Amino acid sequence: MIEVRDLVYEYPTKRALDGVSLAVKPQTITALVGPNGAGKTTLLRCLAALEAPYSGAVTINGLDTRESPRAIHAHLGYLPDFFGLYDELSVRRCLLYAAWSHGIAPALSNGAVEKAARRVGLVDRLETKAGELSRGLRQRLAIGQAIVHEPNVLLLDEPAAGLDPQARRDLSALLRKLREAGMTLVVSSHILAELEDYCSEMIIVEGGHVVGGKPIKVRDDERPRYLIELATARSDLRSFLTGAGIDVLEADDHHALITFTRNPGARAKLIRDIVKAGFELSSFGESSKALEDAYFSQVAGGAGGT
Amino acid sequence: MNPEFRRNLWLELTPRRVLLMTIVLVLTFSAAALSGGADYRPAWFAEIFYYFIVVIWGSRNAALSVVGEIRDRTWDGQRLSSLSASGMTWAKLFGSTIYNWFGGAICLVVIAASQFVHKGQFVAGLDVVYFLALGVISQAVALLASLVAVRRRQSHSRFGLFLYQVAGIVAALVVVFLWKAADPTGSFITHKPASDFVQWWGRNLDARPFFLVTLALFTGWTLVGCYREMRVELKMRNGPLVWAAFLLFMGVYVAGFDAWLAPVTATSGWDAVALRLALAASTYAGLSYAMILLEPKDRVLYRWLGGELAKGRVAGFLLGLQGWMMSYLATLVVVVALIIGLCRGGLLADTAVIASAFAFLTRDIAIFVLFQTLPGRRRGDFAAVAVLFALYLLIPAILRGLGLEEVLAFFLPRPTNPFWIGPLVVWAEAAAVTVLALGRVALGDKVAAEPA
Repeated sequence: MIEVRDLVYEYPTKRALDGVSLAVKPQTITALVGPNGAGKTTLLRCLAALEAPYSGAVTINGLDTRESPRAIHAHLGYLPDFFGLYDELSVRRCLLYAAWSHGIAPALSNGAVEKAARRVGLVDRLETKAGELSRGLRQRLAIGQAIVHEPNVLLLDEPAAGLDPQARRDLSALLRKLREAGMTLVVSSHILAELEDYCSEMIIVEGGHVVGGKPIKVRDDERPRYLIELATARSDLRSFLTGAGIDVLEADDHHALITFTRNPGARAKLIRDIVKAGFELSSFGESSKALEDAYFSQVAGGAGGT
Repeated sequence: MNPEFRRNLWLELTPRRVLLMTIVLVLTFSAAALSGGADYRPAWFAEIFYYFIVVIWGSRNAALSVVGEIRDRTWDGQRLSSLSASGMTWAKLFGSTIYNWFGGAICLVVIAASQFVHKGQFVAGLDVVYFLALGVISQAVALLASLVAVRRRQSHSRFGLFLYQVAGIVAALVVVFLWKAADPTGSFITHKPASDFVQWWGRNLDARPFFLVTLALFTGWTLVGCYREMRVELKMRNGPLVWAAFLLFMGVYVAGFDAWLAPVTATSGWDAVALRLALAASTYAGLSYAMILLEPKDRVLYRWLGGELAKGRVAGFLLGLQGWMMSYLATLVVVVALIIGLCRGGLLADTAVIASAFAFLTRDIAIFVLFQTLPGRRRGDFAAVAVLFALYLLIPAILRGLGLEEVLAFFLPRPTNPFWIGPLVVWAEAAAVTVLALGRVALGDKVAAEPA
């Protein structure tokens, strides 16, 4: 669906992206995370064919962004981190304009507008002026404009910034619905908690590189992440687990984050083995912060939230 | 209907605004007609209002059409639309100014009616064409200026917007001046004094039709310029052919005015071909200066171009060429032709001056590139202009004051004795600055290779 090969993007005084390669599978929600200034927005703009790479290639649905930017734009929705709306126009007219400007025929545009408004929960506000909407509703309208033409790929840059908890929850639900409808989403954010609900893959960008060189699977229903906690520190926790054939994502003297089968019997056996080996097990449970765990397991010295 | 045009209709032509404009104009023209005085009074007011509504206000709205979208953060959404570059261009140009054109149309009806009554159908028709072209060229120039600034990533400030508007107004002023100059008596239809003729390519042409055709051609090129800048904004690549065609047009158009250059003493002994080549070379040099000043001097692009050339990708290289590069190459070609012609005529001193002038152009372009690669490059163009001001005005003034006239040829294109000294020194200057500039571009490559 989305393929990036050796992408280099340069500003006059710095290289923002340095040999980025990645692939995003269809019908997934991929989180693009990393500290401020890491190159997330630049990468998204390159994916959206809004910036031409210095070298390397970006292909969306098999089309090269340098060769066929307009064809890519036709199948793509993009919500920038700071977006604007036509405040004097009603929600209906904003969506109609977006539909027409994406080539939807006038005869079909009303249907497209109704569908987009329904998806983003703005059906009852179609005649309200965009300038009169709350921050959360403006965000929904902006997403509505980006999806009115049913794009294959939707790129969202910091979509939850400034939203209240309820609006964030609504946004999560909306993004999941869009993925179920067949869209491929890439969502940039540096707030990991908000991505937790809906992302299945994660790309960490730091210093113009993709950390680990490829997307990381965040959510694996077959092999979830488990957090092991000890009451008494043991320096051999990692070596014990590794020796037992466990996939250890990170470990210290008190904790270990592992991926393990969901099978209850296998889990019970693992717990027995840990206890039998003399570890004072205080907790064993599925990690509720899969994305955050994955992030910090990949980023060296990753203390502090980004 | 073009969606961008329709959106502008929604926003600009609201019933309240339409009514307001109509009432204000009708009341003004009625008051002018009823207050007595000259027969032309309503038309005079209509002309003034037309200049204000279509030229001054319209230029601002045209300049705002893209800059305003960037300021309001809606431009990315428009760039991602499926609108073609041509569709976006005309919708921006005429959509953002539709309210101005509505008011302008009311004014134009009054102007045309007055001209029809007093001077006849033909003059009225010509006036309508003139006023329409005036409005289009002023707004198109303002839009073009704003698009050029967008490409330079210098578009958001109020002062910037004012400058784009001024560009449109200046274009209109040039048109008005030429129109009035070509028609000193008020109408060229009824009076055709000798000054109303233009000598072009050895022919005497009626000034007013010549002027109207020229206006139409330059309006067309301005629209082409807007279209090409819009293509860049929509991430489409422009080939070199259109700029090459523009250079050819400009060379042919300006070379036709050789009769104007014939009386100049510096060109005594030159034949018509040499005069025309000199005019074309001057035009291309002027375009080189204009474009090096206007276009973004992007080190990344320069490095990319170098890479394409090194890899033998000629098509990619040509697609990436900037306007100043092609103008400079055109200057080179014409200057070489001119030098060959003058050498055959034995005019070696003139040849040397022309070689020096071309070396100065080379040096100055290298100065612009160099200053853009230095720290604090955001003001690189200002710094380059300041350096050129010192090189062309301040230092020569000091040298003249010190009585060092013979050294002036190292700062201005002037003859020297022996004739080859001037070009030799100036080319050494040009080579030194060019090497420095290329070195800075290459140094930038190493800096950029270090990720931030």
